[in-house]
Amino acid sequence: MFRTSTLAIIISFFGASQVAAQDASPADASAVTETAKEIIVDQATQAVTDMATEKATDAVADAAPVIAEPVVSSTPAFTLQDALASGERARSAEPVQEKCITVMNGFPNNGHESRYQFFKLTKKLADDIDPMMRSAIDFYGDSNVTYQTPVVEVIENIANPVYRQAAPEITVGNMGYLIDFALDCDSYLTGQIDSLEAFDNNLTQADFEVVIGEDALFMKQILSDSLFRLGAQDHDVYGPYVQAYADNLVRARNNVEFASFEAQLANLEAVYMNDLDGRLARSNDVINNEMDREALANALEITNDLNDQSKLQTRQKAMRTLSRILNGGW
Amino acid sequence: MTSRLFKVLLLGTTLLATACASTASGSKQSAFVKSSNKSSVNKQKLTAEVPEGGILAVVRYPAVVEENARDKFREAYINSPIGGTIKSQIKDKTQVHNVIDSTIVKSNYFALSLYKELVARLPEHSVLLSPHEVKLGPDGKLTSEPITQAETLPSVVAVDFATYSFPDPAKMMGKNPLTFGDLISPIVTVKTDHRAAVPTHGVLLSSQPLTEAAVGNGYETVQADLAELQSGRFKSTVPELDFISLLANDPTKSTSTQSLSTSTEKNGVQVSPLEKIRMDGKTILALDKTKNQGEIDPLQPVFSEAFANRVIDIINDNADDKAAMAKRASAIASYDPSLAALTFVGSDSPEYQARYNYVSRMLDAERKYLSVQSLRLFDGVHNGEMGAQVRDMLKAEYGILQKRRDLARKQNQATALAIIGAAATAATMGGGSPLALGGGGADGGANDPCGHVRRRPFSSPTQQRTALRQCYATYERRLQDTCRGAVRDGRFRTVQECVNQNHYRNQRGSGRIGTPGIGGGNIFLTGAIYAATQIFAYKDQSAAVGENYLSSIVPALEQQTAIQVSLIDSNETITAIRFDDLKDKLKTIYLEKQRSLDVVASNCAFNGDGSASGTWMGVCDGGSANGSGVGVIKKADGTAIEYFGYATNGIPNGAGYMIVHEPNGSYSLEGNFSAGKAEGIMRVSKAGEVDKLRTYSGGQDVGSASSKSVINSPFNGAGTGA
Repeated sequence: MFRTSTLAIIISFFGASQVAAQDASPADASAVTETAKEIIVDQATQAVTDMATEKATDAVADAAPVIAEPVVSSTPAFTLQDALASGERARSAEPVQEKCITVMNGFPNNGHESRYQFFKLTKKLADDIDPMMRSAIDFYGDSNVTYQTPVVEVIENIANPVYRQAAPEITVGNMGYLIDFALDCDSYLTGQIDSLEAFDNNLTQADFEVVIGEDALFMKQILSDSLFRLGAQDHDVYGPYVQAYADNLVRARNNVEFASFEAQLANLEAVYMNDLDGRLARSNDVINNEMDREALANALEITNDLNDQSKLQTRQKAMRTLSRILNGGW
Repeated sequence: MTSRLFKVLLLGTTLLATACASTASGSKQSAFVKSSNKSSVNKQKLTAEVPEGGILAVVRYPAVVEENARDKFREAYINSPIGGTIKSQIKDKTQVHNVIDSTIVKSNYFALSLYKELVARLPEHSVLLSPHEVKLGPDGKLTSEPITQAETLPSVVAVDFATYSFPDPAKMMGKNPLTFGDLISPIVTVKTDHRAAVPTHGVLLSSQPLTEAAVGNGYETVQADLAELQSGRFKSTVPELDFISLLANDPTKSTSTQSLSTSTEKNGVQVSPLEKIRMDGKTILALDKTKNQGEIDPLQPVFSEAFANRVIDIINDNADDKAAMAKRASAIASYDPSLAALTFVGSDSPEYQARYNYVSRMLDAERKYLSVQSLRLFDGVHNGEMGAQVRDMLKAEYGILQKRRDLARKQNQATALAIIGAAATAATMGGGSPLALGGGGADGGANDPCGHVRRRPFSSPTQQRTALRQCYATYERRLQDTCRGAVRDGRFRTVQECVNQNHYRNQRGSGRIGTPGIGGGNIFLTGAIYAATQIFAYKDQSAAVGENYLSSIVPALEQQTAIQVSLIDSNETITAIRFDDLKDKLKTIYLEKQRSLDVVASNCAFNGDGSASGTWMGVCDGGSANGSGVGVIKKADGTAIEYFGYATNGIPNGAGYMIVHEPNGSYSLEGNFSAGKAEGIMRVSKAGEVDKLRTYSGGQDVGSASSKSVINSPFNGAGTGA
């Protein structure tokens, strides 16, 4: 039940929720032409299939960056402080509580598994984002994406391969949306995850965790690729951080793959150990029941009889000896 | 005459004094309990970590004797007695064979006590059981092989456990080692891989009789391992049980030893004495009193607990990379031969790390799987009907021993009485001949000279009357004859007077005895003689009790042995089929997940210090060692070199660990090597010495080094890359 890709599940609600999303934010939706919408729907559907089968390895291999025209070019005057401050300024203006509630309410599915997957995925997506990477995402991301952007639209945009190729800043901006949500609403997110795990213990199964981990890695690779397409790796300040983020994906990929292997092995191990345990227990019972319980008891009875006989014989022998001695036979 | 009698009495007294019987005693607790300090009386804490993909301890014991090896086993057992000498004529006695066979049943049962103690103290799935089958090797010699696959996994220590009984049942009540009833003579060794204890060939602790056999067995294992490595294989040799090595009269070797109580870090085998421990009788009797019979373990307080603490102590001291690395490489080679040789030193490359993590996890799966097998083996033998039968047998044996102890005590009392009686007779006689014609005695309470005839069973009263008539006639005749002699000697005036005074009818209580010199001695002497006959009666009865039991127990022993064999065979058959299947599946998953290694291990030339050629398993370039790995050279003069670490152009170069095997012993050097020679600060490990840091230049020891010096060890975590 948990084998399906998280993104696939989330985006499977895309078709149904698209109209609602458009209703909810007609201004944003109007920015996309009807033709473009059709393309997006088709491509998103295709993306669902792609993502479900696409291996993380392939995504890394794709990383040969096709550098798109950078939206913002770096300038020598741009400093580390500037870099950190730019994102902070924008976020400090956002009311956190309202943002958290808006995003959480905006998730287009009320099913507890889908919500759990979404929250975990978001949390994992943000787990290695340091302040400099966050600023880099703010810097390179589409500034039109705000916390008021509907979640469903964010998901659509991330899933859209056209944007990833032709407008990576939209992808980065939407990723930034999820990352901001995860970092700013961490306590909400953690509370939701804990509650859902308490509600349904099956959610904590290792193979489900692996599926979410693989999707998070895939999204991180999309983010990294998009930043490379925007030339972020060459930025004076952000460049090293973006590069380090990309490099760490190799390790992250190893960890995710190992977690997958570990989950597979744990299942195998449990099956084999339980099977062996049951078989050996049954075999022990059968063999132990074959034991002739009388053998020892009989042996001991014979021993006692022999001992009684020996006692008598010994006493008689002693008497005979004594008699011989006393009768002068010595 | 008087003088002659006095001498006879003295001689008799002396002989009687030697007739004291031993009551089959044993020490109240093992030397391991005595030598344990206060901290280890409490449960010893494990400070070492479980080696990656390995276990901490494997308990090995003789579990089964193959049918066609049984005679040879018995013969070897009799020919190599521990704790005494054997008369060759007992060789074919059934009772002797039963004593020998019962040691296998007991080893099976009591090894589980040690296993239980270790399992209780060590992390889950880190202790395995390895029952051995005693069999004939290809050369027709006695050997043993593990029945399960427990010893394919890397382990910090291997504990050999067996119970021993001196094979001569006649000496059961003596001081010889015995495992019977409440008595147990455990013989043990604790070993690790020889790379972790070079000077002793891996032997860390041994019962005194086994020490030289264990070291010899260790040496043979080293030679076999070297031969495998020389041939470019990682197959790790599983040694036979040290006890079997002793019985088979395999070559022995001596090494530096130290006593259990000596707290020293010297490289030497800790030697424990040969013991005969007496378990608590009440505990033995209570073996079947609890709901869960296996709950009571009489061996635990007197041996197992303290010995398990000692084993954990040894694990804490020895659980480093060297203890498990060879067997781990051997286990890894079955999944990934190109990785195995790299694991000795390790690498920090991500590809290596990824592969190593995967393969370690697979060995963990094997460990857990085999641990289930051990736990079920324990369950089948200890908690099932089999265990209940052994416990019943222990109780019965205890009953036999108690009976014999009781008889021995009676024998000793009789001996004392006989000695006192003989001494008193000698003291009171002063002269004259004994008119030792009275009957009765201590147990009869009468002086009737024919009391014994009255007590003897007869087929008819007529027969008894006839016998009594004859007996009294004889008595009267002998009394007359004796009195005639007494009259001639002037002790009595008339024969009648003598007869009247000494006739049994006239002797009541202290007796109205004629001449004091004769009458007092008569009583004491009679008592002494009676006591003397009782000594031999008790002795015979005790021997009969032991022999009767050993003769009768054959079917029960055979039954237990058969069930034991079935339990182990079935356990292994079921486990092995699934284990192979599991390994195949693990291998499939592993191959699916793996990416290629940048640097792989292969076989090429290793030249040591340049003077001889050997085999290198590791990173090769241009046909010779270039990178990390393991190299072996066996030289023509019988010496051999093992080297673990880095090499350049086939010669040790960089961090390394070199083991030098020479006819008079082995030693190791750990540190930096340059052009094949030790160079800089080295850790030197030699027999009888504490490991020390020395400075080397061009392979020569040029002086001491500060104890705070840091050596360039190849085992300090990941190296500089494979």
